[in-house]
Amino acid sequence: MGKIILDKMAMQRALTRITYEIVEKNKGVEDLVLIGIKTRGIFLANRIANRLQQLENVTIPVGELDITNYRDDIEHDSMSSDVKMSNNKIDFSIEGKRVILVDDVLYTGRTVRAALSAVMDLGRPKSINLAVLVDRGHRELPIRADFVGKNIPSSQKEKIKVYVSEIDDKDAVELIK
Amino acid sequence: MTQRYLILEDGSAYPGKAFGSLATTTGELVANSTMNGYQEIISNQIYHNQIIVFTQSSIGNTGLDQNAYESILPSAKGVIVREYENLATDHFKRISLDKYLKQHRIPGIYDVDTREIRHRLQKYGNMKASIVDVADDHAFDQLHATVLTNQQVAQVATPKPYPNPDEGDNVVVVDFGLKSGILRELSRRNCNVTVVPWNSTSEMILDLDPDGIVLSTGPGAPSNLPSSVLKMITEVQSQAPMFAIGLGHELFALANGARVSKLRVEHHGANHPIREIITNEIFFSGQEQGYAVDPKSIDHAKLFITHVDLVNGTVQGLRHRDFPAFSVQFSPDGAPGPKDSVGLFDDFMEIMERRRGYNGNGY
Amino acid sequence: MAMDINKVLLLGGGPTNIGHENELDAAAFERLIALKKTGAQIIYVDDNPFSVTSEEIQPANVYVQQVNFKNVVNIVEKEHPDAIMATTGGLNAMQIAWQLSESGVLSSNNVTLLGIKPADLRKVIDNQKLRELLTEINERVIASRIVADDNEAMDFVREVGFPVIVKPISASHDTSRFICNNTDELEDALDVSFKRTYIKRCSIEQSIVGYKEIEMVGVRDVNGNKMLVSGLEDMDPIGIHSGDSIIFAPTQTLINEEYQALRTATFRIMDSLNVTGTCHVQFAQSRTDSNYFVTKVSPFFTRNTMLAAKATGYPVTYVSSFLELGYSLTEVKLPAKYSKYLAFMEPTMDHVLVRIPLWPFRDINDVDQHLNTLMKSVGSTIGIGRTVEEAIIKSMHSSQFSPRDILPSVSKVDDDDVINQLIHPLASRILILMEALRRGFSIDELSELTQIDRFYFYKLNQLLRAQSFVVNNPMSPESIQVGHKYGFGDGMLAELWNVNISEISKMNQDVKYQVTYKEIEPSAGEFLENTSIFYSSYELENESHPFEGKTALVIGRGGNQLGPNSAADYYTTQILISLKKTGYKTIIMNTNPNAVSLTPQLSDKQYIEPIQLGNILNIIDIDQPDVVFLPGNRHYLANQLQQFTNLNVIVLPPDQKVASYKENQATTAVDLFVQKGEILPVTTISFFKHDNRTDIHHINDYQEPMTNWESDEVSLIAQAIDVVNVGEWQGLVQVLFDKTATGKYSCTGIRPVRITETAFLTKTTGINWINVLVRKYLGLLDMNSLRNQIVPTEHKRYSIMAAHFPFKELQSNRNEGTTKQEVGSSLSFENFS
Repeated sequence: MGKIILDKMAMQRALTRITYEIVEKNKGVEDLVLIGIKTRGIFLANRIANRLQQLENVTIPVGELDITNYRDDIEHDSMSSDVKMSNNKIDFSIEGKRVILVDDVLYTGRTVRAALSAVMDLGRPKSINLAVLVDRGHRELPIRADFVGKNIPSSQKEKIKVYVSEIDDKDAVELIK
Repeated sequence: MTQRYLILEDGSAYPGKAFGSLATTTGELVANSTMNGYQEIISNQIYHNQIIVFTQSSIGNTGLDQNAYESILPSAKGVIVREYENLATDHFKRISLDKYLKQHRIPGIYDVDTREIRHRLQKYGNMKASIVDVADDHAFDQLHATVLTNQQVAQVATPKPYPNPDEGDNVVVVDFGLKSGILRELSRRNCNVTVVPWNSTSEMILDLDPDGIVLSTGPGAPSNLPSSVLKMITEVQSQAPMFAIGLGHELFALANGARVSKLRVEHHGANHPIREIITNEIFFSGQEQGYAVDPKSIDHAKLFITHVDLVNGTVQGLRHRDFPAFSVQFSPDGAPGPKDSVGLFDDFMEIMERRRGYNGNGY
Repeated sequence: MAMDINKVLLLGGGPTNIGHENELDAAAFERLIALKKTGAQIIYVDDNPFSVTSEEIQPANVYVQQVNFKNVVNIVEKEHPDAIMATTGGLNAMQIAWQLSESGVLSSNNVTLLGIKPADLRKVIDNQKLRELLTEINERVIASRIVADDNEAMDFVREVGFPVIVKPISASHDTSRFICNNTDELEDALDVSFKRTYIKRCSIEQSIVGYKEIEMVGVRDVNGNKMLVSGLEDMDPIGIHSGDSIIFAPTQTLINEEYQALRTATFRIMDSLNVTGTCHVQFAQSRTDSNYFVTKVSPFFTRNTMLAAKATGYPVTYVSSFLELGYSLTEVKLPAKYSKYLAFMEPTMDHVLVRIPLWPFRDINDVDQHLNTLMKSVGSTIGIGRTVEEAIIKSMHSSQFSPRDILPSVSKVDDDDVINQLIHPLASRILILMEALRRGFSIDELSELTQIDRFYFYKLNQLLRAQSFVVNNPMSPESIQVGHKYGFGDGMLAELWNVNISEISKMNQDVKYQVTYKEIEPSAGEFLENTSIFYSSYELENESHPFEGKTALVIGRGGNQLGPNSAADYYTTQILISLKKTGYKTIIMNTNPNAVSLTPQLSDKQYIEPIQLGNILNIIDIDQPDVVFLPGNRHYLANQLQQFTNLNVIVLPPDQKVASYKENQATTAVDLFVQKGEILPVTTISFFKHDNRTDIHHINDYQEPMTNWESDEVSLIAQAIDVVNVGEWQGLVQVLFDKTATGKYSCTGIRPVRITETAFLTKTTGINWINVLVRKYLGLLDMNSLRNQIVPTEHKRYSIMAAHFPFKELQSNRNEGTTKQEVGSSLSFENFS
């Protein structure tokens, strides 16, 4: 049975706070681009972009990153790099940009590491920051999020499930024992 | 029942029946349209020097609950209502409204056409009023001659710091006439609170090594306070996360270069939709304001306008662009009023947690 | 942003019954006005002959059919609407919506369900799913468990505590539930229950009997913006159905913390169901701590949604129509009479509303009259005042069957019976509560016995004190002032002092405060709204002013009772519509929160005031109407009002006392319209369809035209014309016939056409007969045009109106009722064979 850790309102607030912190840390929105990590990270990135639009009246580009083939913990056949990139939708240059990677849950850090590799393959951004809705701990790599919606200390047996209303029937973060 | 009068600066006199104390008082007349929480309203220090007209027609129905006072020594100057019920419940150890008002020397008048008074205030704007035994020329002369103090904060705020210990984040609350709802919300989040006087210096505050600073609500005009307060705010806002509410919000705005002006009619209620600009969502909250931040005066290089009142267009929330410092005009603690925005306290906690996690890195 | 919807199927509420009155029709009517603004085409299905809504829609777009799954599927497949709006059709319509979704009809026809998504609707329709949802969002629901033995039951009680309710599952016979307050009672209950169950299982649940029942009505838009329209507090505790409870708005006995917790819970529930439009949530609030349980979630239009609208003046139905169509709260444009902020300003009240139910036990008395968890009331009236006492007295005043300005008392009930009724409440409970106070029961004692908050007894006590002051100080200015303050109208004072009401009027001139009217608007005086809805109070400021030009006052029927009441409201509404068309400014006076006639768009001014002589005269005094319409059969009021010779009073249908019967039998009738010396035949009617009884008092069913019309109609009409004396009869007249054994028709009486049948004729002949009557009595009738419209002997099909009775709802074994026991009717058509 799942227990709701963040409800719709709390999720909204977390994204709002992250948005303010992004502006605060970057001293504005100049050169900012958002890249959402496959599925839910993309929706979260879009929501942050909408907030920036409301707040600063600017359209921040949002890219979509599929890092399945970059994961070092998933076995896969070696493929050519254009096959690797087939599921990405990043139709802007990241050269010299301040990239904000957006994901739903930060856990071992392997997804983020893969995302970093994927982004670096695309060009040379000025900086890369990481925004996550939930940081649940248990890092296996030296990776830290710059913007965190909520720290949810959890045991490795537990599961964290993020729902977004764009594809799920609700907005919520659940802890499943 | 003793007949007494509410007399207004514009010459009108309303006979009604007395309850509470039989003191003669003078204050600004304000109408509050919140439908629940007469206890929280009457005990809120922002009503220092004010006579409260309840538009909700019937109050006193539940007695006064030990856990719902907004201050220990209420400083309102009077209560005007259409009908009051003098109910106390032993079961909840609640005392009656009449007894409470007597204890605190606050006079009340009921059986008055409060809807007519509400219309009058809306039409003619804020005005002074007195609660008197006889509505004669002398009483009106006294009313006109009375100059209400502008030292309101000094009269209601704590003169000395005091702690409200717990084991969580170290929060310093600067008291400008604090409502307990703010402390209650911090307590629910286990904050280790120190309440400090309104005239504390930045040094005194920072010496307490705060994880966060709250600028509290309070009565009167922000311009009545000396510039040293604004100086304190500019000095601490860059050093620790800051959350400012009500008068605190007005001061935060002034400290960051904005202007604050008096409303023609004070707004006290919970019925105006407040829009959070970043999400475009609307919500409701208790609002008790005589002053408002002028949106045109905001330096957008310094501050975001985060919330606006959709009815009168007033600024309801600000956030500093460079520091985690934010403020709201309304009362997110919901005492009284909706709890739609109580999550702002959670935001404040999250911000403090982030800052602690980074060991001050980023400042 | 708003959805792109060009064609909407609106599901009607069906015949009125216990549990739903005209409020669904009133809601559908307001929906219609809103939908028309969007330019969408509207298809409507309903078989309620007293529906006003169905007459405001192009006949080609109205399906007069029972609102059921099969019919709705057919309509969907024929009409291909873009969307279905089911939220104003009651639970029945919501269940149909769910079936439409489950069976794939919605998806295969590409139809959108408005208000709530099918997946979310399921969570409301299926009780288990609702429990899961509420648990998931951390809202408390009543704990319950199926147990197989005493040990499991004890484990459960150890978790949740006493009291609990034990019930056998699959019981050998229908048994009651056992409330257990301690281990002994539990053991006894389990003992009995396990003996009665076939499957050796009992259900055991936490008991919340005696908790406060609090109701919240909110609205939510597609963006997740939420607003609370009103909180309602049931005076009666959980255990008495909310429909049978006296209800107060705003809530009276909750402190801010409690109130806000319920408000927040309501919002959380609306969010979890993604509701767009209105949602009504019911709670059980503990009396001893801050705990509460969610007891019911209705994400659709309910009786108390309408009550919240009436309490605040906020146009809930109108606004929620737009919300369902995907508009956000800030995008909803209201009619010009409201301030531009109103749609998204949370309503705040500066008055008190009290709703008192009306029960059918005068007309159906051989049923269990105890108030419990099954709803038994058929209607309700509301009283609005500036004080709680004023509102209580006005609603009590309005809840009386007689308009004679009397407050009834139950002083003849003996002490034992009083105690018994305090514990096992019967209808008109408030009278017993007052009687108990009168007899010296202490407030604490009464609160303990009834689980009603002490606050209400304080208020009732004050009313009693005021009443005795008034009685003991007759004809004094102080008494008048006290009486006025506590809501005793002039008529009531006149009755208490046994003087003519004009005596009181004379004395009023010397009293400081004259009657004033306050507007019901949702900003509590912050904005100058122009809702034109008023109630009386004796204060400084009067806000109701007379209109320029010709003005008509229509006196509404008050709360629904059994008999032709929903038809009477239809009739009243049609009078308003007709008057407006003739250029009159219209004023309606009514106390029925569910009345269509109180729909704000239907009149220029609405008074929510007791339908009593004193209150009527006060309004006449302020508004100076040129004409007063009195719909329905109300001899006392008609007589009283006609004594005021300066008033032009029109009673419709014309006074029924002149009905003359030779025998109490009839099988057939001819309906005629008489205007001055001219008689126009309208149509013929057969009286039996489902019901073969021909006793006049049991005639509930109508068929138009008469059976054997091809052969018998022409001669019967001629026979009818012969018996009508045009000097005596005017308007719509019905000549009754009994078909004798020899096949001949013998005339058995003449009477004005009944209100129910007037509605029926309007639906079947295509002529609005109420409009015709209104014009006739205003001297505006165009006989030529009417003559051309009537073709009495040409018929295309049979139209049948059959009465419904609330016997099943009242758990009575009867199935045939009298005209006085009707609760509603259904309309259907049958082709000639």
